[in-house]
Amino acid sequence: MVRLSLKNVAVSDAWFNRLVIGAVSLGFLALLATGLAAYLSVQENQYHASRVNHTFQVEQAITDFLSAMDRAEIGRRGYLLTGVAAHAETYESARKRLSPLLARIRDLTRDNPRQQANVARLIALTRGDLPFMDQSIALVRSGQRDEGVRLFRNSVGRRAITVLRAQATVMMDEEIRLLAIRDAATARSIRLFYVTIATAGAILLLVGVGSIRAITGYTRSLATSRDELRLLNTDLEGAVRKRTADLQRANGEIQRFAYIVSHDLRSPLVNIMGFTAELESAGERLRATIARAEAEAPHLVDKETRGAAHEDLPEAIRFIRTSTEKMDRLINAILRLSREGRRQIMPERLDMNAVFAGIADTHRHQLDAKEIDFSVATRLPSIASDRLAIEQILGNIIENAIKYMAPGRRGRIEIRGHMEHDRAIFEIADNGRGIDPKDHDRIFDLFRRSGMQDQAGEGIGLAHTRALAYRLGGTISVESELGRGATFRINLPAAFVAEQEV
Amino acid sequence: MNSHQPVNIIMIEDDEGHARLIEKNIRRAGISNIINHFTDGTSALAYLEHAPDGPTHNGPALILLDLNLPDMSGIDVLGRIKAGTNPLKRTPVVVLTTTDDKIEIERCYDLGCNVYITKPVNYESFADAIRQLGLFLSVIQVPDLPEAND
Repeated sequence: MVRLSLKNVAVSDAWFNRLVIGAVSLGFLALLATGLAAYLSVQENQYHASRVNHTFQVEQAITDFLSAMDRAEIGRRGYLLTGVAAHAETYESARKRLSPLLARIRDLTRDNPRQQANVARLIALTRGDLPFMDQSIALVRSGQRDEGVRLFRNSVGRRAITVLRAQATVMMDEEIRLLAIRDAATARSIRLFYVTIATAGAILLLVGVGSIRAITGYTRSLATSRDELRLLNTDLEGAVRKRTADLQRANGEIQRFAYIVSHDLRSPLVNIMGFTAELESAGERLRATIARAEAEAPHLVDKETRGAAHEDLPEAIRFIRTSTEKMDRLINAILRLSREGRRQIMPERLDMNAVFAGIADTHRHQLDAKEIDFSVATRLPSIASDRLAIEQILGNIIENAIKYMAPGRRGRIEIRGHMEHDRAIFEIADNGRGIDPKDHDRIFDLFRRSGMQDQAGEGIGLAHTRALAYRLGGTISVESELGRGATFRINLPAAFVAEQEV
Repeated sequence: MNSHQPVNIIMIEDDEGHARLIEKNIRRAGISNIINHFTDGTSALAYLEHAPDGPTHNGPALILLDLNLPDMSGIDVLGRIKAGTNPLKRTPVVVLTTTDDKIEIERCYDLGCNVYITKPVNYESFADAIRQLGLFLSVIQVPDLPEAND
């Protein structure tokens, strides 16, 4: 069930990632499209605005032209009527502006063939009109005013002006028509812009709502799985706590068992040894009696009886003795282990260099006697642990190193140490006789030994050492080859944490 | 020992062999007082408290107590003897057992045990200890019980 719910989370993870990427891409695409549409709309708008502006310019030019024409006509008529030179000047100045204005109109409408035709007609009309006007002015100026008035009265000029106006109006109408078209186009492009913006907005809104829903859903499912995980974790912690408690109970039971067994084994041992001693003293009395009998009545004592009293009995008693003594040592070892296991661990900060120096001092006599070089690396990591247990562990290993030096080689014991995360590792390396790799596990078992049995010992030290290391939350291992020394590695937590507190 | 009344030695010890060895060595030390041997706590307490010839009704006593008894812990026996209301509370109790656990020893002394001796496994030491206990028994003064004085 656990695996299933975790898998669900994983599946929705991939789904969610795809969804978010899709939504974000869609959103960005919509934004991009909006931007593009806006750009195009503005561009088109600008074009239309410039066209409209152009139309206004054309209209303005036509109006200018018409007003210049009117002014010229006004000037001419005034001059014809009054002969005042100022009117002639008005005519001249307006007359001068006509050609450039026509040229401007022609230039502005160059893109429109219809207007070009209109312009051509306007130019033709103007050209047809102007010589009469110029002539009437010239006549007045030369004093032939009546001639000039007559020329005016021919009304050619007047008719020409009217036609000209009509023509200009045609052009204006054309421009107004164009303006209407262009306005419509502008309105259309603006509408398109709005539609685009609205569409993009709608898409963004959809994407946003969709994303928010997806995120909310995902967050909810995440929260659910987190709660599940927390529950699972709590269960796990509970399981670990329960297991630790079980282990401690089991350990405690073993300790009690070992304690009771060793005590109950001791009682019969007391009897065996006691009554063996009684037997021995009884045997002595027997031997004395046999000796007396041999002296006084030798025929009463046969060879077997003498042998039994002098050899068989003492031999049997000797074997019983050595066996019970050995058993006593073994029972004491179990008792010691059991008692060590029940001792309260009291962690304190330990300067490991000082600890090793203390151990070296304890064994100074042996080290000097065997001429062993004992070196400790400077600045070993310090730990917080039980001083007595640490001293026993390290003391035991160093004692072994001293005990099992290789003959014919100057002994050397090196202590090294370093930290690995929150664990301190200490190495005790010697150049002694070494341990056969097949015995590496065995040497840590109770009553088991390895190699040449030429040194006193019960096979208790390393078992004790390992039990202590376990109690401190540590481990111990060995690297060695026969004849090439051994390196014992002790891995301890930098700070001891009591199991009960977990 | 006591000048006007001999002190009875009451030995509460479930192991017959131990009892025999203890008795032998006490005798070897020259102690000839009567030794009453009980192998369980119930019968020992019955004798101590109710028997007409037991210490409560008849004369001073000295108790040798083993802690590992089949029916109850020697500590319970000790607690009962040394309880404030028990007329036997001033009776000397020598705990003689295989246990040399520090906590156990402390508990016995807390309960009012007078001497605590661990039985050495080595027989020579054992015999020696018992003989010395015998010498000790020959010089200590045991208080008379109120009833015995009446």
